[in-house]
Amino acid sequence: MVDVLPAMKGIDPACAPRALEGETPSLQMGQPMRRAFPEGGRPALQRAARRVTASSLWLVLLAAPVANARDITIAFGAEPTQVDPTRSSAGVDLYYTDLFYEGLLTVDANLNRVNWLAESWRVVERDGLPLIEITLREGVRFHNGETLTAEDVAFSFKRLTDPESRTAGRLRYVERVDVLDERRLEMVLTGPDGSLEPLNLLLLAIPKRYFEEVGDAGVQAHPIGTGPWRFISRKPRDELVVERFEDYWNPAAAPSPDINRLTIKIIPEDTTRVAAFKTGAVDWIDAVPPAQLAEFKAMEGVRVASLPTPNNLFIGLNAIDPASPFRFEKVRRAAAHAVDFDAIVKYILYGQGIRTAQLAPGSLGYDETLRPWPYDPDRARQLLAEAGFPAGVSVNCYNLTTPREAYIKEMGETVFAYLTEAGIRCRVVQLEYGAWINLARRFARPEMDGVLNTMWGQGLPGDPTDAWAGHVHSAGDGWGNYSYHSDPELDALIEELRTTMAQGRRVELIRHIARLKHERVAGGLPSYRPMITLAWRDTLDFSPWPGAFWRSMRGMGRPGP
Amino acid sequence: MLKRIAQGLVAIVGALLIVFVAQRLSGDPVALMLPMDAGEEDFAAMRSALGLDKPLPLQFAIFLGNALQGDFGQSYQWNAPAMQLILERLPATLELAMAGLVFALLLAVPLGVLSAVHRGGAIDRAGKIFAMLGQAVPGFWIGLLLILFIAVELQWLPAFGRGDLSHLLLPAIALGWYPVAAMTRTLRSSMLDILESDYIRMERAIGLPERAIVWRYALRNAMAPLATMIGVYFANMLGGAFVIEVVFAWPGVGRTVVEAVFARDFPVVQAGVVLSAVVFVAVNLLVDLSYGFIDPRIRHD
Repeated sequence: MVDVLPAMKGIDPACAPRALEGETPSLQMGQPMRRAFPEGGRPALQRAARRVTASSLWLVLLAAPVANARDITIAFGAEPTQVDPTRSSAGVDLYYTDLFYEGLLTVDANLNRVNWLAESWRVVERDGLPLIEITLREGVRFHNGETLTAEDVAFSFKRLTDPESRTAGRLRYVERVDVLDERRLEMVLTGPDGSLEPLNLLLLAIPKRYFEEVGDAGVQAHPIGTGPWRFISRKPRDELVVERFEDYWNPAAAPSPDINRLTIKIIPEDTTRVAAFKTGAVDWIDAVPPAQLAEFKAMEGVRVASLPTPNNLFIGLNAIDPASPFRFEKVRRAAAHAVDFDAIVKYILYGQGIRTAQLAPGSLGYDETLRPWPYDPDRARQLLAEAGFPAGVSVNCYNLTTPREAYIKEMGETVFAYLTEAGIRCRVVQLEYGAWINLARRFARPEMDGVLNTMWGQGLPGDPTDAWAGHVHSAGDGWGNYSYHSDPELDALIEELRTTMAQGRRVELIRHIARLKHERVAGGLPSYRPMITLAWRDTLDFSPWPGAFWRSMRGMGRPGP
Repeated sequence: MLKRIAQGLVAIVGALLIVFVAQRLSGDPVALMLPMDAGEEDFAAMRSALGLDKPLPLQFAIFLGNALQGDFGQSYQWNAPAMQLILERLPATLELAMAGLVFALLLAVPLGVLSAVHRGGAIDRAGKIFAMLGQAVPGFWIGLLLILFIAVELQWLPAFGRGDLSHLLLPAIALGWYPVAAMTRTLRSSMLDILESDYIRMERAIGLPERAIVWRYALRNAMAPLATMIGVYFANMLGGAFVIEVVFAWPGVGRTVVEAVFARDFPVVQAGVVLSAVVFVAVNLLVDLSYGFIDPRIRHD
């Protein structure tokens, strides 16, 4: 039998409501109310600097009458360590690599998965094994003027799976990549892999000749890709300077021609980043602190957008240790009724979270009929008594204190307080990131024996396959081994999901697993998907794109929705 | 002198050993380097690629051998030699620490001298309050207040980053205010001692102008205890500037080392610690030598 997927297929819109419209509170624009920063209030030295820049600009104008494009300075709160997409593992690296590099598929501004550098692709079967045939788009150029060929994409497979790579595991079911001609290549799989499409088929456009010529250090010093921005300079801990790539293949998904140069400043401290925005030193910032959201919305001449992140927070429960009370479904249900996550989102996150029963709206297989367990502490105590614990239980509750997400420490403490109130008495253990990630893994010593404040993420719009394989399947073949649950029926369904490549069947499976997982409170208590807020001055047009967790700069200079 | 240098070397190797052991007690860096979906084989491969699978004493021997040649290894997270990452950021930190020190001295020297001369007077009391404020309030908080008032409200100076002199002022104040109190007090008490000494009385008796007595003869002799403090505080500012570096988005060594600690980026932490140990030892040697110039009675052979 031959399983063929139509090439141009994205996510079934019926199953994947767009997160940018409808009921999702995902995009909120600020209302102009008062003028916060009068013009002319800039520091005197900056004013002088601007005057100098302005006069030199006139010289440029005289020399080249077309060069009237603007230079823009913005700020990020966190800094990538890499500019080589085949050497990175941390999500934060995307902040930079997304500017320069592109893959075969992508997620567009409306959160639909679309073909990108792949003009078309399909899954076929040969000798009983699946194979992905890919045809590349024509006329795509690298920043150094070279034309993209199938060799370049195949070369990324080599780099992504070499010993230096930190992401080789994600290509574990790809045996090899064959180049057929200039524009066609094949990924030969050792077995079906349902995670490849959600990961945009993983392969990247990197210029083979350039990479081989300059080596790792050369690529870090000057990255070259096909993306809408080209590299100019970088000072670690300080700034990255890029310029609009004139020969970009897809002008509709590129910054406006009005924009020339973009300087990205790194300002980790929230107060300082906000101050830099208020003083006019930067015109766009990421990660507006939720506590200051109201203030930003009230500022005149400032626009804000709150957007869903790819993260899914949940409270892990150890349901396999014979000594753990969470082995009993009723105790897990009690935990689900014990915590008022709506209140947590409202009061701790200032509303900057999307409550989830299992998956967030927009995720593949999202089921809007699945509602979270209602907050009902009496019901929680009753369930505990029915499970044989009328006096309640005592457990270790592990919190994450490193701010990987806004207010995650405070959120964890509140959840533990709710649990304690309902009879699941928490002995709180506070952990920094390194200790936390070590503890979370199965078979770590000491083991996570109780409750864990944790999370999973799988890009936008979101696909739970690898994550569930890691934290719901009893012996996960996916997102690490974080599972503290064992349920043969769920195991079988997740294995089928992981090895199913046909989209329709995947949606059915995800909905089915989500419902069972919800009813049995398996793999922990889902809580919410955090949102991130971007702010920019309205003298600047900006349209958010989901790449790099909404820090994609494709929409710079383009009017937003 | 040679003995002092040898002592310094012992201190540096000691710092190396402590940081090497302490870091390895803190956990496995590989868990932070690999993505969450990495399997056991990925872990083993990465550990052996980094040499973390070898016995600890062997790891230390290899590390020490390379360190003596100036090679601290490759940063785990930055894909660059660890020492290079530190050295690249050293000028920024030196610049900030020196500016902080200059700010501290510009305040502490006049305040110390004037409060000794006008002992118990208004200047003495006001100076004390001003100096104590810097010691009582944490530097990062002063930094944030400076940003909010000077940069955002008044818009006089930029709020962040490294650039021209205007960028340097606010972080230098936030960093340099702390030691003002201790420096003022030290200078004040040594000035008081000296102003009551016989030779000052002699100078007054022969009719030298009071201004020359205080600022030329007394101050120079009262500087020795302050010089010791300058050495200690300068070294502290080099190492302890990281909070100020984060607040002002200053691209310095402190921020780099602290972020490396959280990422368990051992090579960068080791390079950073060795460098600050070297600077600390060097600054203290310089201070010892400076006594000779300040006070000819103290001379090293």
